[in-house]
Amino acid sequence: MNNEWQQQLQQHFGYGEFRPGQESIIKRVLAGKSVLGLMATGGGKSVTYQLPALLLPGITVVVSPLISLMVDQVQQLRTKRKIPAAYLNSTQEAAEAREVLQKIASGQCKLLYISPEKLQQPYVQQALKRATVSLFAIDEAHCISAWGHDFRTDYLRLPDTVKQLGNPPVLAVTATATTAVREEICSLFGIDRENVVVQTLNRANIAYDLAEVGGESERRQLTFDLIDQLAGPGIVYCSTRQAVEVLVAAYQLEGKRHVDGYHGGMNSMERMLIQTQFLAGELDVIIATNAFGMGIDKPDIRYVIHYQLPASLEAYSQEIGRIGRDGQPGYAMLLYSQDDIHLHQYMLDKEYPTPAQIQQFCQLYGAGAPPDPKALASIDMSEEMAAMLTFYTERALGKAQVSTTTEMANPVQDIWQETEKRKAVKQKKLAEMRSYVLTDRCLRKHLNQYFGESDLGFTRFCCSRCGLQRESYEGRQTALLQREVQNSWNLRQALDMLLPKK
Amino acid sequence: MNSQNSVAEERELLCAVALNAMLPLANERTLQAAYYILRGRKANQTLQDVHLYNLYPYYRMFPGFSKEDWDKIVATLFQNDYLQPCEGEGPSPKPTFLVTANGRQFAEHAYEKYGFAVWFAPFTRFDLAARIESFWQRLHLLVQTVSQLLGKDLGFVPVVMDKSVQQWVKEQVGPARLREAWEAGLSEELFRLWEPLQPQVQELLVAQLSGVSQVGKTLGQLAKQKQSSKVYLTLLFRYGLAASILRLSEEKQAFPLLSRLVVQENKLDPRLSDSAARTYALVQRGIHKAEIAAQRQVKESTVEDHLVEIALRCPEWDAADYLSSETRAAIMAASEQLQTSRLRLIKDRVGPTVSYLQIRLALARRQEESNE
Repeated sequence: MNNEWQQQLQQHFGYGEFRPGQESIIKRVLAGKSVLGLMATGGGKSVTYQLPALLLPGITVVVSPLISLMVDQVQQLRTKRKIPAAYLNSTQEAAEAREVLQKIASGQCKLLYISPEKLQQPYVQQALKRATVSLFAIDEAHCISAWGHDFRTDYLRLPDTVKQLGNPPVLAVTATATTAVREEICSLFGIDRENVVVQTLNRANIAYDLAEVGGESERRQLTFDLIDQLAGPGIVYCSTRQAVEVLVAAYQLEGKRHVDGYHGGMNSMERMLIQTQFLAGELDVIIATNAFGMGIDKPDIRYVIHYQLPASLEAYSQEIGRIGRDGQPGYAMLLYSQDDIHLHQYMLDKEYPTPAQIQQFCQLYGAGAPPDPKALASIDMSEEMAAMLTFYTERALGKAQVSTTTEMANPVQDIWQETEKRKAVKQKKLAEMRSYVLTDRCLRKHLNQYFGESDLGFTRFCCSRCGLQRESYEGRQTALLQREVQNSWNLRQALDMLLPKK
Repeated sequence: MNSQNSVAEERELLCAVALNAMLPLANERTLQAAYYILRGRKANQTLQDVHLYNLYPYYRMFPGFSKEDWDKIVATLFQNDYLQPCEGEGPSPKPTFLVTANGRQFAEHAYEKYGFAVWFAPFTRFDLAARIESFWQRLHLLVQTVSQLLGKDLGFVPVVMDKSVQQWVKEQVGPARLREAWEAGLSEELFRLWEPLQPQVQELLVAQLSGVSQVGKTLGQLAKQKQSSKVYLTLLFRYGLAASILRLSEEKQAFPLLSRLVVQENKLDPRLSDSAARTYALVQRGIHKAEIAAQRQVKESTVEDHLVEIALRCPEWDAADYLSSETRAAIMAASEQLQTSRLRLIKDRVGPTVSYLQIRLALARRQEESNE
């Protein structure tokens, strides 16, 4: 290993050695190549752009779709790793964004995390051009692919942006990409086959379990038994905020472990406290929506229970990927029922527009683009759907402009075809998820094959189809209880504890 | 108390808070008015209601309230026969409501039982509700940072993500001398600040803070621990913060460190919305409302809204340019006689020469005086 890299790795990240795949990605990036890196969740993707950022002149841009993740990472970079990093997204106030832009333009920043839509703003691109972008990293790169489970229209503008910024090398990283998705990413960013670095996506230390449940009470009882018995820490994923709240309240009445809930509807301080308690070992289990887990640095998570069926194998593998990043054995349980599939189907139908809705939207759009919330409410359309339709409408209009026909064709049909294509992709994802729970062959094999992974090794048990003993993942210890509440409250003592004398 | 009881307490308290907030609004405002107040809506109508009906303690008490939450409470109030629907008066009546004798009794009983008088006492000023949140965020992050500094462990994740709060704390602990002052004096000042408070309030405040030796608890977790309800703890918590802010504002010398938390360095007048503050700057230079509207390129009616806001929140402003003392007296007399703050009714009484703006200014000023 190159000496300078080693030194930086040790100094900023506290590792003596690279994890598998990191070095070959970094080597290619530093040689100026565009690279696609596939690494399992928890495999250390972020180091592959953070380390080059330190070694390269200019600035490294990291496109990230999730604002909370962005904030967490920048926070960690600044405090733990002492790397000058910043972020830009739509939640910031104008003054704060201006400050960040000044820092960038004056070269005080090595890493900029940015949301894809913010990157489209001309003044942001100008500041970046002035700072010279030496690496363009795309986190969760599968979002660019219409075949991906997480397709984001904003990502489609990225290849253009790369050109705008003077064609810096691109590093696309993801943990969940099927073969079709890989090919799409490579062709969009001109990545050569030899610069695709694939780390094994097989998670040898995770054992896969499945159980079909008849009804809500069975589902709940099974989950509560598991929480009581399994050795923690663990995460229980639910599909909705409401399910989280109901489950937490019910478990807290009768359960043995320290459990609390986490979802996007809680205020940010509450979420931060719960998350910190979990990291500090004061909570055994978090019951959460998929809002929890991104960017959480907790290597000893021993199990993940899915209370309901996730919408795709990609989402599923991402969520269970948080198990056992320390390499120790862990356990993944997926509960499902026929109702889960119907529920997903229902949500899917609601997510995509009918031709009538597109018609209404186009009328609003024609009247004065883009429609405000009030107008949307009048046609009973969600903001998410409107954002999707705005994108496709703009694209349809753009096409109409370059075409030679003077009269614009009715765009509704075109747009509907596009959204139906998207819907069909999600439909397929749901079918894949369904086939996973219905298979009677090895779960590991089924999951890995889906991602084009042939390695099927495992450390303790493989899966419930191949046979596993759940008892081997059980354990008695529970979270350290905070000191028992003192009988007599003493303000002085409490403050001395909180603010120890120097 | 077991958890069943705390669920019951939660429900009772929500009804009690809602009903007490609604008492003065009966027959004058819609069912939604109290919802906007409890949620802390920033619209002028809501702000004026808070003033006119002296509902400061309720403003922004439950910022997370949804319309569904509110509808549930209102439904319970009707079911228990505490409220009755009522047609409004005037030419374009809006539906309003009446509080029944039953309801009045329940409201008073709960007010007594849960000690509202104590917990509401510090809320004598308009701006407290808005200041509570930023005060708590600053305090929380500051305590966490100083605690980590004292424990010599700086690899922590801040509990407060808000950038302006982080920036403020950075300014406080950045310079070495100031940092040392905080390290040496924070614990003692907090002790003196909170010592006079009820022990349960002290504990509630300290237990939510994070630092090198503890991760803060959420209000929900503390409610469980204390077998109390989250709503009740919310009352105590807001009381503790409001009392802290008042004391720090009044006794700056006694709290050289913590009083920094209540300094408002916003260049625009912090008592006002940004837009009204800009209007106020022009008003102070003697510019008339029509001209202000032209300069600022807003409607004159918007400037009038600002003037009312200024009258409400800036006691030093002399409204004589818009409201003579005679007109003012006439409006007050009409309001007294009719026992109402409703503009339409007052206007019908005082006649066409008096404008709505004048009535609104007069009512705003009356509130200001009753608070002195």
